[in-house]
Amino acid sequence: MIARLRGPAGRALAGRLWRGRGWAARLLLLLWLLSLIHPAPPRAMLEDPQTVSTMQPLLCVHTRFTDEVHEWIIQRSMQLVREMGADTIVEFFPWAYFEPQPGAYRWERVDLVMRHARNQGLKVLARMGFVPEWARPPGTTFNDLPESSYPAFARFVAAFAARYPDVVPGVILWNEPNLAFEWGFRPVDAAAYTRLLQVVYPAVQAASPTTLVLAGALAPTLEPPGSPAGLNDLLYLEAMYQAGAAPYFDALAVHTYGFTQPPAADPAPDVLNFRRVELLHDVLRRYDDPAKPVYITESGWNDHPRWTKAVRPSQRVQYTVDSYRLAAARWPWLEKLCLWAFRYPRFTYSYPDNFMIVSVGFERTPLYEALRALSRGTVLETQLWLPAPAPAAGR
Amino acid sequence: MAARARARCWPLIALGVAGLLLAAGLAAPQLTPALPPAVAFPAGVLRVGVDASFPPFALDEGGTLAGVDIDLGQAIAAYHGLPVRFVPISFDALYDALLTDQVDVLISALLVNPLRTQDVRYTRPYFDNGLRLVSPAAAPLPGMAALPGLRLAYEFGGTADNEARAWLRRVDDFALRPYELPQIALDALRVGAADAALVDATTLALYLRQQPGWPVQAVPVTHVFYAAAVRLDRPATFAAVDGALAALAADGTLAHILRKWL
Repeated sequence: MIARLRGPAGRALAGRLWRGRGWAARLLLLLWLLSLIHPAPPRAMLEDPQTVSTMQPLLCVHTRFTDEVHEWIIQRSMQLVREMGADTIVEFFPWAYFEPQPGAYRWERVDLVMRHARNQGLKVLARMGFVPEWARPPGTTFNDLPESSYPAFARFVAAFAARYPDVVPGVILWNEPNLAFEWGFRPVDAAAYTRLLQVVYPAVQAASPTTLVLAGALAPTLEPPGSPAGLNDLLYLEAMYQAGAAPYFDALAVHTYGFTQPPAADPAPDVLNFRRVELLHDVLRRYDDPAKPVYITESGWNDHPRWTKAVRPSQRVQYTVDSYRLAAARWPWLEKLCLWAFRYPRFTYSYPDNFMIVSVGFERTPLYEALRALSRGTVLETQLWLPAPAPAAGR
Repeated sequence: MAARARARCWPLIALGVAGLLLAAGLAAPQLTPALPPAVAFPAGVLRVGVDASFPPFALDEGGTLAGVDIDLGQAIAAYHGLPVRFVPISFDALYDALLTDQVDVLISALLVNPLRTQDVRYTRPYFDNGLRLVSPAAAPLPGMAALPGLRLAYEFGGTADNEARAWLRRVDDFALRPYELPQIALDALRVGAADAALVDATTLALYLRQQPGWPVQAVPVTHVFYAAAVRLDRPATFAAVDGALAALAADGTLAHILRKWL
C-alpha cells in the first residue's frame, strides 16, 4: 500500500516510514492492519434435507430468533429441535423489522429462518406483531396498533403468508391481546381485536388459502373486568365470540402454564393451571364452534429456585412429559403443544432463564433429554444429578 | 449461636456492599445537579414498577408487597419526602411500563443489561448476585483455580453449571458434583460430600440464615449487578434515584435492608 503512494509527498512519507524515524507510524499502521483481521463467522451450510422422526406429534417449541445475529445459531437451534423430536416451532416475526417503510418489505432475514426450517424438516407457526413507527402514533409502544393501521398489518401478514405457504402452516395474529401491555398499554378490547381479525383474515385467505389464521394466544390471567392490567382470558374469549369473531379465525391459539400444579390438576375459572385450556375449549363449544382446532403456543413449567410460580427441576421434567401424555389421551381437538421456550439469545439472570430447554450455550437441560426420550417412545433413565446427600447428623 | 453465625456471614456481605459502592463510585457518570422532587417526580409520587413474584426481592404476601426492592423503593421515596406507589408488573412488561411512563423507576432485581441502554439508564448497583465459591472456613479456597483434585457441588443446568464446566476447561481436573437444587449443593458441602460449592449470592445468604452455625468462606467468582432503571430521557429522575441510592448506601440504610432480607 505504501509503495502505491504517488507524487513527491507520498514518496517522502513512504521514505520516512520505511527508512528510520517513523517507527511509531509503522506501529500504528500495523495495529490498524491487525484490527482489520476478524475470524470468519462459523459457517451454516445447509445439510441434506432432514425429516423429523417422532412418536409424539404434539411436540413443539417456541424458539427465540429475534435479534439473533448468527445464522449458525439459528441452524444449531433447529437441529436440536429436530433431534429432540419436535416437528414444529413457534417463532416471532416482528412486523417493524420486515417492513420498515410502508410497502418496502425486507424478507432476507425471514428467508434465512425459513430456509433452515425447511432444511431441518420443521414447520413454523409465525407469530405476528410489533408495529413499525410509521403505523402507530408517536410515543406509543410497539404493541400499539391503531385501527387505522389494521389494513397495513393485514397486507403485511398476507404477503408473509403468501411467501412461505410450504413451511408456515399458520400465522398467529398478535400475542396476548388480553394484557394491557401487549395491547400498547391501552384498555384491552376484545371487540377491537375481533375487528382486527375481520380485516386480516380475508386478506390472508385471499393471498394464501392454505394458511391457517390462529387467533387469541391469550394470556392466562384472572384480571377482572375494568382492571388496568388486562382481562381474564375466559371472559375475553367469550367477548370475542360475542363480537362475531367465529368466522374470522381457523384455530385458537392458547397460552397455558402449569405454574406450581401438576398437569392433571383440575381446572377452575378462578385457577391458573395447565388444564385451563379445557375451559377455553368449553367457550368454543358454547358458541357452537367445537370443531375449531386448538394450538397451545406457549406452555410449560419453570424450575427457578426462588420464583413463586416455579417447581423443582425434577417436577418440571415429570410434569412436562406428563402434560404431553395427558393432552394426547384427552384432547382430540389439540393440534400442537408448544413449550416456552427452547433457548434465549442471552441469559436474563433471573427466573425466565429457567424456562429454557437448552441453555444459551446449547447445554441440554434434563427436560430436553426427557422430551427426546418421549419422542422416541422411551423413558429417560439416566441420572442427571446426584441424589441429595444424607443429612449431616451432628455436623 | 445464630448471632455468631450471622456475624461470620456479615463481613462477606459488608465486603460485597463496599465493593459495589467502590465500583459504582468509579464507574458513576457525572450526576445531573440535584433538582427539586417536583421536577424529578412530576406525578408527586414515586411510582415504582416491580415484579412481585421473586423473593426475597419482591413478594406479594396476600396483597401486601414486601422484600428488598420494596424497602428500597420506600427508602428512596422517604429520602425525597415523597409518597411511594408500587405498580406490580410481570417481568416481561417491566421495561415497556417504564418507557410508556406507567412508572418512574424499575426496582425489580434487574440485571444491568447493556442492550437496554439505548432507552434506559441504570443507577449504581445495590446488590451483586454473582456466583460465590463456598468452602469450609477450616479449609478455605481462594478461588476456582484452587479446585484441582477437589469436588465441586453446584445446581445442575444453572449458571453455576456453565461456570463450573468453563473452569474445568481452564484448570486441571476437578470433580463435578451436580445436584438438583443449589441448596442441595450447599447441603453436600456441609455434610462433606463436596469440598466446595458454587452458588449465587442470594442462595448462599438465605442458606446461611437457615444454617446459622456453619462457618464458611465465600469468594466472588462472577458479578451479576442488580440496579434500578430509569428512562434515559428523564435525567432529573435518574439523578434523584441514583443520588438517593448513594445516600442510602452511605448512611447504612442499604446494608440494613439487605441484612433484613438476606
